[in-house]
Amino acid sequence: MSLLVNMQNITKIYRSGDSEFCALKGIDFYLEHGQMVAIVGASGSGKSTLMNILGFLDHGTSGHYFFDNEDVSHLQSEALAQIRNRKIGFVFQSFFLLPRLNVLQNVMLPLFYRGDETEYAKEKSLKFLAKVGMETFAKHKPNQLSGGQQQRVAIARALVGDPDIILADEPTGSLDSKTGQEVMDLFLNLHQQEKRTIVIVTHDAGVSKQCQRVVLLKDGKIVK
Amino acid sequence: MRLTSHIQEGMLNLFSSKLRSVLALLGVLVGTASVVAMVSGGELATNEAIKQFKTLGTDLLAVTISDAADEEHKLSSGVQESLTLLQAQQIISADKQIRDVAPYTQLYNPVQYNGHDMNASVMGVTDSFARIVHIELEKGRFISALDGYQFFCVIGHSLYEQIKQRSFSDPLGQQIQVGKNIFTIIGVAKPWPENSFVYAVIDSAVMIPVLSSTVLSKYATLNNIILRLTPNADIDQVKNHVTDYMNQHLANKRLFVRSAKELIVRMTKQSQILTVFLGLIGSISLIVGGIGVMNIMLVSVVERRREIGIRLAVGACSRDIRSLFLVEAIMLSLVGGTLGVIIGIIIAYIIALFQSWQFMLFLLPPLIGFTVSVATGIFFGFYPAYKASQLDPIQALRSE
Repeated sequence: MSLLVNMQNITKIYRSGDSEFCALKGIDFYLEHGQMVAIVGASGSGKSTLMNILGFLDHGTSGHYFFDNEDVSHLQSEALAQIRNRKIGFVFQSFFLLPRLNVLQNVMLPLFYRGDETEYAKEKSLKFLAKVGMETFAKHKPNQLSGGQQQRVAIARALVGDPDIILADEPTGSLDSKTGQEVMDLFLNLHQQEKRTIVIVTHDAGVSKQCQRVVLLKDGKIVK
Repeated sequence: MRLTSHIQEGMLNLFSSKLRSVLALLGVLVGTASVVAMVSGGELATNEAIKQFKTLGTDLLAVTISDAADEEHKLSSGVQESLTLLQAQQIISADKQIRDVAPYTQLYNPVQYNGHDMNASVMGVTDSFARIVHIELEKGRFISALDGYQFFCVIGHSLYEQIKQRSFSDPLGQQIQVGKNIFTIIGVAKPWPENSFVYAVIDSAVMIPVLSSTVLSKYATLNNIILRLTPNADIDQVKNHVTDYMNQHLANKRLFVRSAKELIVRMTKQSQILTVFLGLIGSISLIVGGIGVMNIMLVSVVERRREIGIRLAVGACSRDIRSLFLVEAIMLSLVGGTLGVIIGIIIAYIIALFQSWQFMLFLLPPLIGFTVSVATGIFFGFYPAYKASQLDPIQALRSE
């Protein structure tokens, strides 16, 4: 079976003035369709960097990145944005909903940037809101919701564009254990029922334990 | 459509930070209002200045005869020192386009009424004078051709007011002393709007028959003639013919010919220069306003960095971010510009009210003001929008 993500010898060096910091040191990372992976590591281990490159927010200094057998290593920001829009759905630790838009408008945002028709986008967004159990909150503003509810909306937003990968950065980091588990249940459900490919970056062992596969990063290298 | 959505989003964003939006568009508003008010004010002033000439009519020519200072413009073929009344009136034959002639003399003899000194000038006029310069009578009658050398006079309105303060009886029919002679007042004129085309302040003048003025003083020469021409006459042609005519009769004299039309054209040009200048000054404030918009948009971009990061993460490309901010800047300028135009017109109206000018609604200043304000928005909004679009998503997401 072909790999969804095939990263070979990826190195990322941050330059600031005269100093250099090597965040990733020639790592090989792969991802299969329908896998649920946890990327674990202490802070400074390079896991955020790996996630950024994986999610097309950044590109490596050297090495190759094959996404669905296409070489996307050297794409520039415009092309990165396009791929990002279509292939990746992000979930962040701080939810990152736009405060001035209501729940429905937040979920519709990725579709708006794709150029989809408003009516179609609305319908689709309501469908995904229902999937995460938040459809009754469609007209609410984010600040009227609890943390767990906001995260569920964020997940709906991540799903609405039908991405190839859901990329979650510490998704339970701002939630209490009970709500956090509700969110994890949602992820597990998506993985098992819909065969979604999910990557969760976390330092929480309780989270990583529930994932199908765990990748451990230390000092820019994959250890396990 | 993408643009409509951008506009909707833009409106949403602008409304949710009302104070900042108001501050941003205030600059454009004041700038636009200044441009519109100043240019309109300039046009109104021009209008007002020309109006007084227009009421007299644009087909007037004023001829003044004075002593020749140099050889160049001297009339020298003729023999006389000054025109006779007949010769002055016959000027009507010099050119077919001359319809009416009003020669007049000006004297400076002291005027007294009932022993009181009056502030008045003396003019020797013909019957055509009232016709040509539109003098209307409040009482009595004007000088007529039959008055000949009679000591009758018509007094101007301010002089009439002066006299009324000194005496209880109606001046009409009373006597007034001009120099050493007694004149009978046969007419009182209505107020006459002052006009620099005619070298006389008619409101404080004593108008006597021109022949009588020659009796009064040996200095009474027909140095001034006002001609009414046919509409759209060829002024240069008339000038030439008048000069030729004068040349036949006069020696050692110099001719000044002023046409109302040329005067209006010249005044209009001067006023237009002034209006352009005022417009430039107004534009300076518009530039300042534009800088204000730019500053506030820049602050907005910095404050909304995380929002930009989220949008980028969710699929926006840099062009989308740029459009977002540009649309907001343009909308601010549109609103500011529209309000500015309205306020500018109101200010122009108030100016007209205070100056007792006639108010007219001009199309050009609002159009200029509006266009320039939108251009300002686009120009000054572009840099912040561009900066926003160049943000790195990761950095932006990390912002507080």
